[in-house]
Amino acid sequence: MSATTETRIINVALIGNPNTGKSTLFSDLVGVHQHIGNYPGVTVEKKTGRVELAGQQIELIDLPGLYSLAPRSRDEMVVVDLLLGRRKELPTVDVVLCIVDATNLERNLYLVSQVLELGLPTLLAVNMLDVAENREIRVDPALLEQRLGIPVVPIQANRRIGLPRLKTALADMIVGPRAVECCTGCCAACVSPSERVRPEPPRPDTTPLPEAFEAEVTRLESELADHEESLHAGSLPRWLVRRLLLDISGHLQRTLWQNGAAQRKQQIEAARSRLATAGHAVPAVETNARYEWAHRMLEGVVVEPGVYEMSVTDHIDRVLTHRIWGTLVFVFVMLVVFQSVFVWAQPAMQWIELAETAVGDWITARMADGTLRSLVVDGVVGGVGAVITFLPQILILFTFLAILENCGYMARTAYLMDRLMVRVGLSGKSFIPMLSSFACAVPGIMATRVIENERDRLTTILVMPLLTCSARLPIYTLLIAAFIPARQYLGGLLNLQGITLAGLYLLGIVTAVICAMVFKRTFFRGQTSPFIMELPGYKWPSPRTVALRVAERCGVFLRCAGTLILAVSILVWAALYYPHDPQATRHQQQRNSYLGQAGQMIEPAVKPLGWDWRIGSAVIASFPAREIVVATMGVMYHIEEEADTDATPDPEQSRWHEKLRNVTWEGTDQPVFNIPVALSIMVFFALCAQCTATLAVIRRETNSWCWPAFTFIYMTALAYLGALATYQFGMWISG
Amino acid sequence: MKQVSPIQSIPLRHLPVRHCARITEVLGHPEHVHRLDEFGLRGGTRIEMFRPGNPCIIRLAGNKVCLRADDLLHVLVEPTAV
Repeated sequence: MSATTETRIINVALIGNPNTGKSTLFSDLVGVHQHIGNYPGVTVEKKTGRVELAGQQIELIDLPGLYSLAPRSRDEMVVVDLLLGRRKELPTVDVVLCIVDATNLERNLYLVSQVLELGLPTLLAVNMLDVAENREIRVDPALLEQRLGIPVVPIQANRRIGLPRLKTALADMIVGPRAVECCTGCCAACVSPSERVRPEPPRPDTTPLPEAFEAEVTRLESELADHEESLHAGSLPRWLVRRLLLDISGHLQRTLWQNGAAQRKQQIEAARSRLATAGHAVPAVETNARYEWAHRMLEGVVVEPGVYEMSVTDHIDRVLTHRIWGTLVFVFVMLVVFQSVFVWAQPAMQWIELAETAVGDWITARMADGTLRSLVVDGVVGGVGAVITFLPQILILFTFLAILENCGYMARTAYLMDRLMVRVGLSGKSFIPMLSSFACAVPGIMATRVIENERDRLTTILVMPLLTCSARLPIYTLLIAAFIPARQYLGGLLNLQGITLAGLYLLGIVTAVICAMVFKRTFFRGQTSPFIMELPGYKWPSPRTVALRVAERCGVFLRCAGTLILAVSILVWAALYYPHDPQATRHQQQRNSYLGQAGQMIEPAVKPLGWDWRIGSAVIASFPAREIVVATMGVMYHIEEEADTDATPDPEQSRWHEKLRNVTWEGTDQPVFNIPVALSIMVFFALCAQCTATLAVIRRETNSWCWPAFTFIYMTALAYLGALATYQFGMWISG
Repeated sequence: MKQVSPIQSIPLRHLPVRHCARITEVLGHPEHVHRLDEFGLRGGTRIEMFRPGNPCIIRLAGNKVCLRADDLLHVLVEPTAV
């Protein structure tokens, strides 16, 4: 690094195996100053955070958890491109901060050996020393530092132990030693930045791979350089040439050379044959060499016990991974989560509703009647407010998901669900992205990149939108609270409303399973991939990590409410307000509006579902985003409010619920809403694909318009048929 | 830990609960084998069966790993005393 380090932002890449405490360390270092976005040009999530060390601004880049730097997927390729500085649009990495798990150093050093070959200044953080100590594994970080020749810092990320030392080591690496002790280098006692001595980065040619292999890399490097020269392209870094030789899947070849690679492929194959003859068959040569190197590095550094005693995690796992008890606990946990979402959020939701009403009334009192007031009160406050009312539920759901993930339980659910998933033709790995979908399908679909098998990945993507995301919660909770009786069972432990909510989640899961089974037996026929996954030890969830994750996801929801939902609310208001007739009553206006006309047009189709044209209009309005259905009902409620003079406000009842119960079929006293109608609407929204963000991400992830179109069509058909069956069956039951 | 006398290699799924073994060979498509290799599930590695079945849970270097091999992968192990 040059003197420009004083002005330029230093990029530090944080890398490590999954379950090493990488995300906890990231949160520890950057706190709330996190930013989530995409790498330019690709849909790979980029998580960064700013921190100031020794007066130097540092951008910490949190890379996805990896076991190996072999680029076999788009995610892994972005990581490699970033670390090698191959693409101008990606930031240049100045320092690599590698985090390893003290309880499994040998496997973690596999990735470290690949990182060291990059030749970048590298710092190693050895995490979970407390867990290692509990398992009677002794680790000597000082000896490891001596062996590796890079700074090694012992830390306990979950307790923030060792962080000052890690920051000092990082600062030393970036701006030279004594940086932290001397503040920012501004006083006379300080060593000036240019005088500071930085540790030497590891040499890029340092590799544990055998000489014969390296000789083939040199030969291939020169052969490929001739090709690249003839094509006027830049030569490939030696690191990538090594990977080309090792990557038997051909992913790297396909990524680097889309056309005219026949001759180069022949040269690579010839090099592999020569290596096989010399007893260094690819790809085993890599794992053998790296594990031998890791073994050498750890000799005397790690002392393991002869026998592992049963730990607390093991005792818990005896129950939680048990085929029967584990499944029962899983079902119970899910029931408790959904019940809590429903019960605990009620007081906060009522406060938000009251605040929304107060804001609406305040504006009404201060603005003259007309288009602008209607837009602000009905469109903006009514529309966005109706969605924000559901923030407490989303907050509770995300808190539970973050706690379950942080304490290590989620991996157990993937293990338990693998038995079910394999019958469908998928693996437990598909279940992990599906769990994200319970919050939002968009990150869930993006998380399918962990699935190596393309057929499994596509199947998972296509069924993902069936799982109940947080956008469905507003309509579920509104209708459940209004129409499902609050009957209690098992001494108040369970109630019918909570069970109904859990049933809707179950409907999404069961439908997704059936659809996946059909897809795997038709479009995506093929063998199921092997399933391998680490089960991290249980730990108390870190309140800080949970809070940051919840804040991050709620922030996304609020941004969505403030942008997409606001825009759609205004559009819906306009569709209800125009063509405007000042002489018409509110009801006539609503009926003659563009949205009202569309609703009436589809009424014959939705009547068998028990819906009137107003519900039909709300469903049309919610095509861009399903949560809009509540906002539309909000707008409709305000329109009806003045006409409904007979309604007696009941302080015990939410005004939403009261209003919905009072809605009648036009020209009759017969209420529109009853239990079968409420269930029919909820089943429709459980199965429909009304989310443009999800369809857009399917388009990006599959690189085709066919799959989002197919998703929309099959889910809409399922939703209609499901709603029809629910209403007709419900009416038949109730006589 | 139960004592077992060393015998020849057996498929992983036949290893009883709480019994230890050393992996002798992983057979299957080279890509799948390589992934397991990178994961640390490779010849010579010591494991302990925690929960048999398919998928099974094994203890690998102190940590627990769940694995479903099916017909695509065959993990052969040699039972050991500890």
